[in-house]
Amino acid sequence: MARQYEEVTVRGYDEFMKAVSQRKGKDVFAYFSGSKNEQGASWCPDCVKAEPIVRGELSYLPPGSVFIYCQVGERPYWKDPNNEFKKTLKLSGVPTLLRYGTPQKLVEEECFKKDLVRMMFTED
Amino acid sequence: MAALCKWRHRLKPAGFFQNAVRRQLSDKYDYDLLVIGGGSGGLACSKEAAQFGKKVAVLDYVESSPKGTKWGLGGTCVNVGCIPKKLMHQAALLGGAVKDAHKYGWRIPSPITHDWLTMAPAVQDYIRSLNWGHRVQLQDKKVKYLNLKGSLMDGHTVKAVSKTGKESVLTAGNIVIATGGRPKYPTHIPGSLEYGISSDDIFWLKESPGKTLVVGASYVALECAGFLTGIGLDASVMVRSIPLRGFDQQIACLVTDYMGSYGTKFHWKCSPSKVEKLETGRLLVSWTDLDSGKEDQDTFDTVLWAVGRAPETRALNLEKVGVKMNRETGKVCVSADEATSVPHIYAIGDIADGRPELTPTAIQAGKLLARRLFGKSSELMDYDCVPTTVFTPLEYGSVGLSEEEAVRRHGEDGIEVFHAFYKPLEFTVAERDASQCYIKMVCLREGARRILGFHFTGPNAGEVTQGFALAIKCGATYTQLMATVGIHPTSAEEIIKLHITKRSGLDPTVTGC
Repeated sequence: MARQYEEVTVRGYDEFMKAVSQRKGKDVFAYFSGSKNEQGASWCPDCVKAEPIVRGELSYLPPGSVFIYCQVGERPYWKDPNNEFKKTLKLSGVPTLLRYGTPQKLVEEECFKKDLVRMMFTED
Repeated sequence: MAALCKWRHRLKPAGFFQNAVRRQLSDKYDYDLLVIGGGSGGLACSKEAAQFGKKVAVLDYVESSPKGTKWGLGGTCVNVGCIPKKLMHQAALLGGAVKDAHKYGWRIPSPITHDWLTMAPAVQDYIRSLNWGHRVQLQDKKVKYLNLKGSLMDGHTVKAVSKTGKESVLTAGNIVIATGGRPKYPTHIPGSLEYGISSDDIFWLKESPGKTLVVGASYVALECAGFLTGIGLDASVMVRSIPLRGFDQQIACLVTDYMGSYGTKFHWKCSPSKVEKLETGRLLVSWTDLDSGKEDQDTFDTVLWAVGRAPETRALNLEKVGVKMNRETGKVCVSADEATSVPHIYAIGDIADGRPELTPTAIQAGKLLARRLFGKSSELMDYDCVPTTVFTPLEYGSVGLSEEEAVRRHGEDGIEVFHAFYKPLEFTVAERDASQCYIKMVCLREGARRILGFHFTGPNAGEVTQGFALAIKCGATYTQLMATVGIHPTSAEEIIKLHITKRSGLDPTVTGC
């Protein structure tokens, strides 16, 4: 089945910014999650809970848009208030789902609400 | 028989007919509450109603300004009013603070310059985050948001049109009109529409407005001219008659005197006659001095009309449905419970006649209305003693009656006016002129001397005034004021220490500690 959007997976701030800069002019949605270990489990329980909900709404993404799945790093890195995600991207928590370049974002428990996720993907 | 009348005018198109049939058969509406207007009042009312488990929808639609400016959910306050105004006022205040900083020992290179292209996008980004925040809140509280332009068809039916012209019909048990107002354009002045802008545009300009002429003397005019001057632009105000009509006039003059001494130019008793565009792209404004009859001209980069706001009723189709409006103001007539002349149709916020044009009153009225409609409450909105603040360079906070109004109601002999000119401590080292920093308390003359009106000009006037609004709401008296201890050192303590009356004729200037 042809997907209407492009999915990109990145790890860490530099990879994220590189992926964004390579897609200038596109509608970029990003989901930030605590990194997963070799078993595929994340240290962030809310991220684990939100991911299937967010993925369940991906079919509502506008055609031609980009969905970046970004693993931010390990727990100690995330807890440091000076990490680049917090400092430069102004993220306050994980999971965060945002529309790059706009103030549209859903943080933590907001990501559990599939109607909010769908709203972000479908409204201007 | 009435049913037949309704059916007849809905026989075409078919969709309308089906809705009418559905309603007749099931007697159920699409929504329990339909709110037209997603501003301060509309959003508060809809969210409160949804808390009661009711089916609620909000229609919000922004018609672009003549210059083409548009914005998102949240109404005037969020997009083109209170919020951007206060942020730009803050930008201007910071410029003044940086200048003062030298005297306090800071080594800052001078002169400092301001960049519109840094401030405006930052303000606009914040506004967009509020648009989003409101959108999330509505969704979360299960209020249906529709970006459609609504108009009334009858007491329970609204026609909704999308930006592409697609029409739909919605029915509701109750309808709240909360469409607010928009700036007026003096269309009788040639060039006003083509070349001038309004408060709808100023906060969204992509470039600095440059040398600006603000026409008007309302708080919109003075606040805009104030922050434009504060960020280093050449700003002038053209006033036809008096500043801040409706406010205490003694204080209004202190406010404009301060602005004048800090660089805003005033053209008193003048009225523009035309605006033309020059080859350079700049605007040539011609005006008449109303006293002498003399004509004068000057060139500006921007002309900002702040000559009043008109209620957004034109497109609502109110007359056809029988909603009574005040012929003079154009606003919707409401009774104490916000009801209009048509059952189940209410009006709140700026659109309602006789109400203050303020966000907090619209919000509170909206919430209380929802509680009365769906929550078995009977509490009415109390519009008495509503505090306000004008965020001009010298801020002016007030609650209660102006001196003029107190005299009208109680006679000069019936009131006692306590007043003082004071100097904020921060102004001393900064060597700032405090000639217009003033406090006035208008009280009843008899008994414990109940406070009727409170007026304060000075820094942080809004913060100072808020607490006194509670005191006045509780019926505070001058006797109680005298028994209250001041906080030192503050400007607010000078209110507590008021003791010179206007009647005594003594010099009201506060001396040192």
